[in-house]
Amino acid sequence: MADGVQVLRRNRPGSKAKDFCRWPDEPFEEMDSTLAVQQFIQQTIRRDPANLEAILKMPEAQDEGVWKYEHLRQFCMELNGLAVRLQSECKPETCTQMTATEQWIFLCAAHKTPKECPAIDYTRHTLDGAACLLNSNKYFPSRVSIKESSVAKLGSVCRRVYRIFSHAYFHHRSIFDAFEKETHLCKRFTYFVTKYSIISKEILILPKLDDETPITQPVGESEA
Amino acid sequence: MKIPTAMDDSSVSHHNGGQVGSQIGVSVNNKQNDEPSQSVQYSIPGILHFIQHEWARFELERSQWEVDRAEFEARIAFLEGERKGQENLKNDLVRRIKMLEYALKQERAKFHKLKYGVELQQGDVRPPPKEPPAEPEPAERAQWKQGRQLIKQYLQEIGYTDTILDVRSNRVRNLLGLNNEEQVEDPYRNYDKNELYGLLQREIRTGGKEQRKGGVPPGGVYNEEGLSVQETAAVFANFEFLANQEMDMDEIDDLDAKQPHHASGKQGEEVDHEAEEVLNELNMLTESEADGGGQGDEYPVVKLSGSTASQASAVAAGAAAGGAGEADEEPLALGELAQLTVSNEPEAYDVASANKESFRKTWNAKYTLRSHFDGVRALAFHPTEAALVTASEDHTLKLWNLQRTVPAKKSAGLDVEPLYTFRAHTAPVLCLAMGAPRSEECFSGGLDGTIRVWNLPAPTADPYDPYDPAVQGPVLRDHTDAVWSLAASHGRLLSASADGTARVWAPRAPRPLLATLRDEQAATPPAPAAADFADAASRAAVVYRDGSLLLYDLETGQAVLRVSCDSAATRVRSHPTLPILVTAHEDRHIRFWDAVSGRCAHAMVAHLDAVTGLALDPNGLFLLSGSHDCSVRLWNLDTKTCVQEITAHRKKFDESILDVAFHPLRPYIASAGADGLAKVFV
Ligand SMILES: [Zn+2]
Ligand SMILES: [Zn+2]
Repeated sequence: MADGVQVLRRNRPGSKAKDFCRWPDEPFEEMDSTLAVQQFIQQTIRRDPANLEAILKMPEAQDEGVWKYEHLRQFCMELNGLAVRLQSECKPETCTQMTATEQWIFLCAAHKTPKECPAIDYTRHTLDGAACLLNSNKYFPSRVSIKESSVAKLGSVCRRVYRIFSHAYFHHRSIFDAFEKETHLCKRFTYFVTKYSIISKEILILPKLDDETPITQPVGESEA
Repeated sequence: MKIPTAMDDSSVSHHNGGQVGSQIGVSVNNKQNDEPSQSVQYSIPGILHFIQHEWARFELERSQWEVDRAEFEARIAFLEGERKGQENLKNDLVRRIKMLEYALKQERAKFHKLKYGVELQQGDVRPPPKEPPAEPEPAERAQWKQGRQLIKQYLQEIGYTDTILDVRSNRVRNLLGLNNEEQVEDPYRNYDKNELYGLLQREIRTGGKEQRKGGVPPGGVYNEEGLSVQETAAVFANFEFLANQEMDMDEIDDLDAKQPHHASGKQGEEVDHEAEEVLNELNMLTESEADGGGQGDEYPVVKLSGSTASQASAVAAGAAAGGAGEADEEPLALGELAQLTVSNEPEAYDVASANKESFRKTWNAKYTLRSHFDGVRALAFHPTEAALVTASEDHTLKLWNLQRTVPAKKSAGLDVEPLYTFRAHTAPVLCLAMGAPRSEECFSGGLDGTIRVWNLPAPTADPYDPYDPAVQGPVLRDHTDAVWSLAASHGRLLSASADGTARVWAPRAPRPLLATLRDEQAATPPAPAAADFADAASRAAVVYRDGSLLLYDLETGQAVLRVSCDSAATRVRSHPTLPILVTAHEDRHIRFWDAVSGRCAHAMVAHLDAVTGLALDPNGLFLLSGSHDCSVRLWNLDTKTCVQEITAHRKKFDESILDVAFHPLRPYIASAGADGLAKVFV
């Protein structure tokens, strides 16, 4: 910091929940950690989770692959919050399949042969699978540079992850709304995949969350 | 910044200079530039972007190099530790040889006495005091020369040069006190000690063999040597680990097979027995040494230089030479020797089997646990299995089975994929405690203020099984702020929370909250940072943000001991067997407290930054600590010295290592880091 006093950005044992990660922002240029992009993204989200522009404004000279990768990690991490809420309501008995609108059933790709998992299992398996893939030493050995071939893997993770939002939206609306109000996660995710053209527009079946007009254009075959 | 001059011939450097100032500065640069066509190819923003890009790239590379450097430093530290271990081992072996040699002389003397009924006039055991050692009897000297010549021949055959012999002879002479110059050290250093060691062993054998073949006149010396060789062989056969150095066991077997020609068959059969006797005698030696040679006649005190000097054969001289080097450094510690155990496993000092050597080993990173999206705040090993649970700021806990691994790409390490992901916390999970053996449960506390009880899935579970809500056990919700620490013992759970209280729970009882521990004396109660059970779960030690340490009696809920300290505490652990409390502090210290008197028994600067993790091994012999300085350190609790340091995790913001753990039964240690990884060392 400018005043010369060293700020230690730490969560000390015993500190209150409201003080968690509450430290002065660190300029991105001054972050010298290999986890700088994650630090920067989390710092911007904490400042204002609703400010999608700011959160998704990539610092100059930042490698775009890493930027997308770190954002997707952050999405999957925060989606745990939605999964926790769904666990209490989305039961295999009632949501026997992973559906959004009733037009197609999604098969769970976490298994050797894609399987018709109940929605809650689909959700958990997809997040667990994404955690393994995104942390895989094989595809993502580094947090500062990413092979082009691995960047291509991000698309399929995004597609599957989006179905969790859509299932929640269409089947557990109150959970979805409460979660969205707190995190703006679906909005951010939609903004993200659109901005970087990671998912084609017609797969994004949720209505624009700001205006309430639902989009009801049928989309083609589902895939695992 | 560089100031552009007319001398600059590249437009890039001009623009580089222009970065300092404004557009005007740039246009000046352009004016200075005599080749307008060249400057057209570059635009200021483009170049700035290029420079920034390059700078960022260099920064990234720099940080990667730094990580690499840290890793190499860790490697160096590790290798140095290993070398030290090898040296200790070598010294140990040399001392054992020395002892064996002495025991052999004793045996010889006894044998002689029994056989001839007279005391053996052995110069080597009790040198005539007035006779200078450098002047042995002519006959002996001739023999000595002859023996030496033979050995020289033999060694030349097998490729040992005169240089080595000279070095050795220098050492022998040094040993004998014939020359006290330090010059000996230098040539000696040019040779691998192991090599010399092997040389020494060979000499012992070959020397004896030559003696016998050489038709030395029968008598004491002959028998002595025969016996010596045989015993040496027998002893070596018993001490197989010695053979591991360089000795070829087949050769020894050969020797044994040949023995009956030269010595009585009975001896050949009784080699094991004799070796045992030798060992017994080593025990007695302890006593004889202790009473200052009172039994001098039977068990003369070893006078190495004297005994070696008049030793009739070069064999023993050689044998002593190897050991005497160490004798200079430290006096004979026979008492310790008596406790030395004999291992029959040739690979006893291998890294793999060194596990059994209880921490004489060095720990190596073996498993990397990657699957968390954010910092791992806590980890705890399964009470019996090769499994552990990690708790992360990504709101989840994960269960890992170390026996289900996927090979990692580059290194010898293994990646582990989680067996199960526990989801229920709605905020970062901060702490973790494992239930008792066979309870198959664990407990987690989070920033959300809840403590959750989990039923561990079987280690054979598939990560993609259907969701089983029964994994979630009871939830304890009395804390009103972040739960930072958990400890489980005797069916009880102890928690410490930022709400200012520590609480004791019977986690599965209908009314689980048993007690609330609060520092009644403080006007504004400081927040507890960590807590641990003490004294068979009859007490609770709680450390606070203000550095104080309180010990509560769980019967009364009252503080029975209160000590304060200036630096915020981060962890507390009670010693498994002694009334000692260990605390970790932000001022880089680890402190040891007498749990009875409250006296600070020891304080040490343990790290370069705040100490964040503490774990004691189940026997209470070793302490493991982690710090934001990125390193894990292992401490010998007895000597309070650092046995090993491992650089384990990278920094996220200003945090690095967040927790460390010992497996209660198996040889595993682990560290958890802000970089989202957990590592297991074996
Ligand atoms: Zn559902
Ligand atoms: Zn599935």
